[in-house]
Amino acid sequence: MAMNRRGFLVAVPVLAAAGLACTPGAEKGAGFGYRELAKNQAASGRKETILVFMPDTTQTREVWSGMRDELGEEFNLVAVEVPGRGASTSIAEGMRRHRPSVVVLMNNPTVAGYRDYQLQARDRNFPPALIVMTSFLEGSSVGVSAASGISYEVPLITVVTNLRKLMTSTIDRVGVVARAPLTRFVQRQAALARREQITVDVEYVSANPNPSELKRALRQLKNRVGALWILNDDRLLTRNLIASAWLPALDERPWVPSIVGAASLVSAAQSFGTFAVLPDHAALGVQTANRIFDIADNDWRLPDGPQVELPLSTTTTVDLIQARERFALREDALAQVDRILK
Amino acid sequence: MGLAAGALAAGLFATSAASAAEPKLLVFVHAAVKQRALEGELRQALPGISVTAVGRIADFDRALAQGQDAVLALPVVLSARGLQPKMRGQRKGSGSESYALVGADAVPDPARVATVGALDLLGREGTNGFVQTLLGRSLKVERVTKVEDLLPLLQMGRVQAILLPSRLFSEIRTASRLNLLSRDIARGVELCALASTGPNAPPILSGVSRLPKALSATLGVDEWR
Repeated sequence: MAMNRRGFLVAVPVLAAAGLACTPGAEKGAGFGYRELAKNQAASGRKETILVFMPDTTQTREVWSGMRDELGEEFNLVAVEVPGRGASTSIAEGMRRHRPSVVVLMNNPTVAGYRDYQLQARDRNFPPALIVMTSFLEGSSVGVSAASGISYEVPLITVVTNLRKLMTSTIDRVGVVARAPLTRFVQRQAALARREQITVDVEYVSANPNPSELKRALRQLKNRVGALWILNDDRLLTRNLIASAWLPALDERPWVPSIVGAASLVSAAQSFGTFAVLPDHAALGVQTANRIFDIADNDWRLPDGPQVELPLSTTTTVDLIQARERFALREDALAQVDRILK
Repeated sequence: MGLAAGALAAGLFATSAASAAEPKLLVFVHAAVKQRALEGELRQALPGISVTAVGRIADFDRALAQGQDAVLALPVVLSARGLQPKMRGQRKGSGSESYALVGADAVPDPARVATVGALDLLGREGTNGFVQTLLGRSLKVERVTKVEDLLPLLQMGRVQAILLPSRLFSEIRTASRLNLLSRDIARGVELCALASTGPNAPPILSGVSRLPKALSATLGVDEWR
């Protein structure tokens, strides 16, 4: 069924995690909403437990499933639901019950809850923590001790490599609208993208831009670049800015393909994102599991080296109506996308 | 109303019974196209056969446990699951193909690389063993589930080289402007093969042996024997 503009806008913000169904065998206890979503007993007989704190969403369930497939034979795994920031009590209860060798924290509110738990804890010996599905993790200080992680934003270098496989036009210059707080993030992405001869052209806008400012920035960029990369910045993706700046500016000529980082920003009913390039959540679970194996091999301590990795595996969605109407796709383009909206 | 509902139910039952009777083929082959596209092309080429293509070994094991009539995968995967190939892929008259190490800016030396990216064929231990057998020495292996995920390992400097079938090097090079250089390694790997796992395997064997050339080529094969 086609989605009208109102439906699209209602479906939009988007940047928070969505729902994860409860698995059978969920355990309730302690009277304050402590809930174990899933549990896996190691076949190997090893005693170590990996404790996963996560909200109940489809995406986090996929990450959990990738982790369980990799780690389930060797280690005990427990998933504890963390519905929001006020959940440091659930976290404390999970830590008390399971005394984990590693904890995995999925999404920003869970990280905030774990930070609160660490501040309140008497025992200062915390196990290594792996942070996943958290916005703009790379280069940020999350305030959690003994932490490392995998950032959630798909790197620009990956986004453009994927796009080049789909479009006939040459994509060497990519435009991005950014606010000052994300300057360092954009600079790091631009430095990495240079390895693939990609130039990043940035239009900076104020901390709280109005529609005119954003529209002006987009119009200027569109005349200079081969594609637009739209950051998952919730200040730039408000309903008002989407309706009054993004949609009208993207609908004007010259048309430029736009790449978004949220599935709900691509719709066959609205010409917003032409493509969405998102982390492959099951593969993100496998990548997380590989980091846990590295920690286990290092006597359950964080190994030296970079503490934040970029996600390796992605899925691509295309708004086929917009893409065919406005751009030239390669002959085999559709064999290179995971989801086609038409 | 009652009759219509009855007819609808009968129709649904007939469809479901027909679907249950369809021979079932499970495919676990890493190709340079998305699993969705590979599965779609195989379904089109194999009418009357229920095709499931998976990209992860855990999904392969789950689907295998659900019962299949035939399985298409590399012989190294089949033998790890106790399955015998009934029909083998051939390429340029050989049942195996060469693999290459690919690096950025320098030709990788199999005797010196310390970290290598590879497709996850057999899980952690099995894939580590597979890579070590091919390269003849122990080293750190970063596993990925899709061909397209090998390139980011090099782009992000996570590994010194990636290991892949030599025929896929051109696919990787087309997608990248890194200065990619490859070196074939001495040992070859057997091409994908079909194992019979159920009573309805014969029509699958027959169908796969007559796959369109382009689709067989996607699987790395130009002939089936």
